[in-house]
Amino acid sequence: MENSSIIQRSIARPEFGPFVLLVVELAVFWGFNHDFLSPQNISNILAFTVELGLIALAMTLLMTSGEFDLSVGSLFGFSPVLMWTLFNSGLTSLEAGFVVALLVAAFIGLVNGWFVTQLKIPSFLVTLGMLLVVRGTALFVTSGFPQRTWSAEGSWLAEALVGDFFIGPFRIYMSLFWFIAAAIALGYVLTQSRTGNWIQAAGGNPNAARARGVNVSGVKIGLFILSSIMASLAGVISSLRTSAANPNSGTGYELEVIAMVVIGGTALTGGRGTIIGTVLGILILRVMRNGIVLIGVPGLAYNIFIGAIILGMMALHSWLERRHQAGT
Amino acid sequence: MAEPLVRMENIRKSYGRVQALVDANFHVNEREIVGLLGDNGAGKSTLIKVLSGAVPLTSGDIFIRGKKVDFRSTSDAIAHGIETIYQDSALVTQLSIARNLFLGREPIKPPRFLNRMDQEAMNVVARDLLKQVGISKNIPPTTPIGSLSGGERQAVAIARAMHFDSDLIILDEPTNNLGVAETQGVLSFVRSARDSGHSCIFIAHNIHHVFQVVDRIVVMRRGKVVADDIDPKNTSVAEVERIITGMSDKEIRDAIVQGKQSQG
Repeated sequence: MENSSIIQRSIARPEFGPFVLLVVELAVFWGFNHDFLSPQNISNILAFTVELGLIALAMTLLMTSGEFDLSVGSLFGFSPVLMWTLFNSGLTSLEAGFVVALLVAAFIGLVNGWFVTQLKIPSFLVTLGMLLVVRGTALFVTSGFPQRTWSAEGSWLAEALVGDFFIGPFRIYMSLFWFIAAAIALGYVLTQSRTGNWIQAAGGNPNAARARGVNVSGVKIGLFILSSIMASLAGVISSLRTSAANPNSGTGYELEVIAMVVIGGTALTGGRGTIIGTVLGILILRVMRNGIVLIGVPGLAYNIFIGAIILGMMALHSWLERRHQAGT
Repeated sequence: MAEPLVRMENIRKSYGRVQALVDANFHVNEREIVGLLGDNGAGKSTLIKVLSGAVPLTSGDIFIRGKKVDFRSTSDAIAHGIETIYQDSALVTQLSIARNLFLGREPIKPPRFLNRMDQEAMNVVARDLLKQVGISKNIPPTTPIGSLSGGERQAVAIARAMHFDSDLIILDEPTNNLGVAETQGVLSFVRSARDSGHSCIFIAHNIHHVFQVVDRIVVMRRGKVVADDIDPKNTSVAEVERIITGMSDKEIRDAIVQGKQSQG
């Protein structure tokens, strides 16, 4: 009796669907090609996973509060460009350039949040506008050309963010630890802290939250800032790891990140979010991208699979939600 | 006579040229359930919004236990012990009962910098409160509000107001869309709130529900309080209905003349 109720409860959790999907995905790809679970391939998947993952973690909290941010992909491209431009022109050290890039990102998040909460403009429009402003600035400043990046060798910033080492046969980047730390911290905030309760209330019923004295606008502005900073950090990490700072990089990431979050079980309409689900969603999409290439499906077909996964998971989540609401 | 809990004097509220409240006078005594009745547009909602701090008044005074107060927001009203429960907007359906009860005032576990909610303490209090308002079924406090019935949601909202020692609980249409048994449940929550020392303002379209629970009935018409001392025990429903809608022929003629004059 007790056992069956535990099983029932885990099935009812929003993370259950994504978890099963990930297991199936891993099994199928491994079945087709045993190299899929080779240490080298796992290392590859993990390296890039955490970069988009950092953005997805912040986006989970933002979406739980009922908003989303389309400007993250453009910040992913813009921040490293800004950092390298400052460094290459001799204005700042690499580390100071990094701090400046994060501060500019925070300011952009603040502007997003201010437009959404004070002018009451939907976040879709505000962040779409910001996407164009930020991407346009990156292209204008660089005339569309990638920045020189080869002088990061030996910088402690590069070591701390993307230094790599081997654990057995696995090549691990420092960024993985930053991702794990961020996932634990934000998971804690969302489920255990008082702030998490406010984030969920802000997304679920902002009027009720406001009536209880919760500073809904403050919560949302804070999350927009967090989202921008994480996108900026992810961009810098990616740039240091690949030794490239291309003003076009990160194009389309906003939609992939939002897809990761909703596949994991966070509601697009706000009020409900899960960090564990997002981590699963991140893995599902990255494993899919890696796996279909590995088993010989043309990479161009990637979007077909992603689209199908999103539709399938949405159907599952909506079904679970209705069951849940009905109290069964 | 003792100073009432809440006294509103000569309240005026206009939205542009529309006069929603015209010198309305209203009071609620300690440990009293007041039924506020009136037709659509009579000014009930506006009066309640003014009292709950949701809209500012144009002129007039509000006193709580004889002390003049100035509400600039709903938080001001809550701080003065006035809690308003709107049927649909009071709770967050995705959050659990316990988290809703403590929303905005969550207890924090030490060390405080971790900002960690004391969920255990919240659950204990929630379980106790649910018993107090008489939810008979054994509902765990971790249940999301979304899976509760309309009556149970009202009960949670009332329990919250009781726990945080609101002196006055304003219930706006608490029995709308509820079945017979659920309505009786809500009415008994209201009684238990009064019995534990709270006052209530009860607004409902269904006069029969009001009659079952209130100590005194106040009727509003065209922005004014037209009767404020109706004893439900000695008055018939029909009589109250006449006061709510009832304009004599002369009053109707006066209204038409007045309307023409104000247009001219």
